[in-house]
Amino acid sequence: MKKYVKSTLVLVCICATISLMLAATNAITAPIIEKNQNAAANAALLEVMPDGKDFEEIDITSFTLPATVTEAYKEAGGGHVIKLATTGYSSGLVIMCGVNADGTVSGTVCLASGETLGHEKTYGENFTGKNVSEVEAVDTISGATKTTAAYRGAVKDAINAATILGGGSVDIRSDEEILADNLAAALPAGEGKFTKQFITEVIEGIDAVYRAENGKGAVCVIGEQFIGVDASGVVVSDVDAGLADQISAQMEILNASVETELDLSAYTGLHTSLVSAAKTATGNYVLDMKGAGYGINGGDEYHPASGEYIYIRVSMTKDGKIIDCLTVSQAETDNIGSACADEAFYGQFVGKTEADYDAIDGISGATITTNGYKKAILRAFESVKILEGGAGNEE
Amino acid sequence: MKNNGNMSVLLKGILKENPVLVLILGTCPTLATTNNVAGAFGMGIAAMAVLVCSNMLISLLRKIIPDSVRIPCYIVIIAGFVTIVQMIVQAYFPALYEMLGVYLALITVNCIILGRAEMFASKNSVGKSVLDGLGMGLGFTIALCAMAFIREVFGNASFAGIAIPFLEPYKIAFLVKAPGGMLVYGLLIALVYVITQGKAPVKTEFSCAGCPSAGSCQTGACQKKGGEQ
Amino acid sequence: MEMFKTLIIILLSSVLVNNYVLSRFLGICPFLGVSKKINQAVGMGISVTAVMLLATAVTWPIQYLLLDKLGLGYMQTIIFILVIATLVQILELLLKRFSPTLHKGLGVYLPLITTNCAVLGVAINNINDGYNFLESMVSSLGCGLGFLLAMVLFSGLRSRIDESRVPKPFRGLAVTLIAASFISLAFMGFAGVVDALFA
Repeated sequence: MKKYVKSTLVLVCICATISLMLAATNAITAPIIEKNQNAAANAALLEVMPDGKDFEEIDITSFTLPATVTEAYKEAGGGHVIKLATTGYSSGLVIMCGVNADGTVSGTVCLASGETLGHEKTYGENFTGKNVSEVEAVDTISGATKTTAAYRGAVKDAINAATILGGGSVDIRSDEEILADNLAAALPAGEGKFTKQFITEVIEGIDAVYRAENGKGAVCVIGEQFIGVDASGVVVSDVDAGLADQISAQMEILNASVETELDLSAYTGLHTSLVSAAKTATGNYVLDMKGAGYGINGGDEYHPASGEYIYIRVSMTKDGKIIDCLTVSQAETDNIGSACADEAFYGQFVGKTEADYDAIDGISGATITTNGYKKAILRAFESVKILEGGAGNEE
Repeated sequence: MKNNGNMSVLLKGILKENPVLVLILGTCPTLATTNNVAGAFGMGIAAMAVLVCSNMLISLLRKIIPDSVRIPCYIVIIAGFVTIVQMIVQAYFPALYEMLGVYLALITVNCIILGRAEMFASKNSVGKSVLDGLGMGLGFTIALCAMAFIREVFGNASFAGIAIPFLEPYKIAFLVKAPGGMLVYGLLIALVYVITQGKAPVKTEFSCAGCPSAGSCQTGACQKKGGEQ
Repeated sequence: MEMFKTLIIILLSSVLVNNYVLSRFLGICPFLGVSKKINQAVGMGISVTAVMLLATAVTWPIQYLLLDKLGLGYMQTIIFILVIATLVQILELLLKRFSPTLHKGLGVYLPLITTNCAVLGVAINNINDGYNFLESMVSSLGCGLGFLLAMVLFSGLRSRIDESRVPKPFRGLAVTLIAASFISLAFMGFAGVVDALFA
């Protein structure tokens, strides 16, 4: 019995002594370990806000922030560090952005990216010290437009998020969301689903027309104004009578537009770029063109040619002025030549004639695409001349 | 242990009774932490610290600890020192702590430490036990580093994390993976056999000699499993 | 369903992909020492699985209900190893008392398990990986079964080695380790398989 007591006693004593030693060591090391862990967590934060101190994570669920924001930290000096995840060329572009109390960027760093090009590493430096409007003016990098544009968008989101977290209010809607909201407000009957109409008639004073997909009317855009028109052409938005009459008259022209398909074999000298042509009752032409861009004339080991033409629809008056222009389909290099499908590019041709169409801005980094596109537009001008009975330009 | 010169107590652990390559103890950390020299060195030093401390304390207490509870006592002492080392590493070498992960805690069950406690420290003076701990720890560290050197340099074309560019095209990535560890370990054991020309007490099988649980093995399991069958 | 899926993934990955012996190097000593005969390998494997499950069932509540509550996280290693040592002792006593046949079969392996790093490893890893109780138990079961699988496979291979003529320096452990390396290489083929199962 005595043996057992002694054994137990010794074991208990050893356990107690060791426990005390552990507690003592823990008392010394625990603060250091905690400091290390905080330092590791704050290292990334300090990188984007070198003067920041006492970072504290904010619960972002209680704020309405841009969708890209994943984490937010508040700093003692009133600044914020925002972590964002966005999609550039591929998803998984993670950016940490510091925003000072005055709304300028203190620094940005790209934490992770699934991107193919290396620009995301250094591109962030361009934003340091800029405020929201200056951020928008930072150029994207040609050849990495999509990545850098997403990066820029994320930095803008970060500044907006910081403003909101700081108690301010900002319109955080994207351009598409703003457009959709305006359209829905102008014509509630459209139930929020609109498509941009391809204009084939000369209409005065209206910049663009969006048709409700349910057939219950349209929205005319004049400058910043969005004016709803019902299916019979009556203006439903609150505008003065003169403007309403003008819009109704223009919409009537548009609604009355009838196209007749032309038999191209009846004409000689038409270029093969012209796929099909139609003539409206008022004498305008609607031409479907195909342009030989990078898909036909380009291709290298990194960006193989797709073998696809760029298909373009152009409407033109009989005297050769472009009414509307649209890229119907294309298979140019993603994020480079594919920009020819953006309205920012093809919208430039609207209102141009053969004399001045060539002066539009090309797509940066995509000379072959731009040239192919312009060539197709030139063929459209020529085609209209032939269809009108004249002769095309000599090559 | 017959020629009890202090020097020989210290030196025998390095080659003649190298715990890793001759006594074949502590195989788990040997394989797990040797895909990089820095980690292997850290593990070696950490284990050596635990080994020296536990050897010292166990040798000090060898007359107090009753025979019947000595294994639990040893385990508590060793686990205690391991935790202390763990906390120190976490506080002052966070990068190493990340690298070693759970294997740091597993020094507790490293057979070398319990084995030395049972076979040496419980029977020898404090001074000799410390020297034995140092020697064994050194042998462990050297063996680990040698293995890590081979695996990292040829498997990852780097040394302690620093890239060796000219080896880059020739690296054998398999070496830093699990199977590579076992292969290199096997080859090293064979190499040590060749160097010592079989004079070292080469252990060809696990047996009670190296088994830390031998003392508490009332069932004779070791004889059954380790002896010639 | 989601939980079931998680459990299956944990089980399969701990048996095949993250096999404790072959890819994490835990429990190498018994793997090399007790894999000479297939019946020994099975006995050791079953004992280890049983102790792993028991140890997890005890250590998980200790960690979350005791150590974390009291802020004694640093006592983890010491408490866990004591729990395992005690469990092994109790298990051996119980087996001896109530089932002498089972004790004869498995009991001999029990004393070796205290210092088996796979058992302590699985207990600590379950905590580190943040598994809940059920996930921890499944992970322990998987690790135990993985250990058993590796032992049984390897004992088959070793009986072949024993019959062959091995160059002198490689005799014994050297060639055993090299053979283990090939089994481990084969298990590397499972990497990615489990995640892809439900992808």
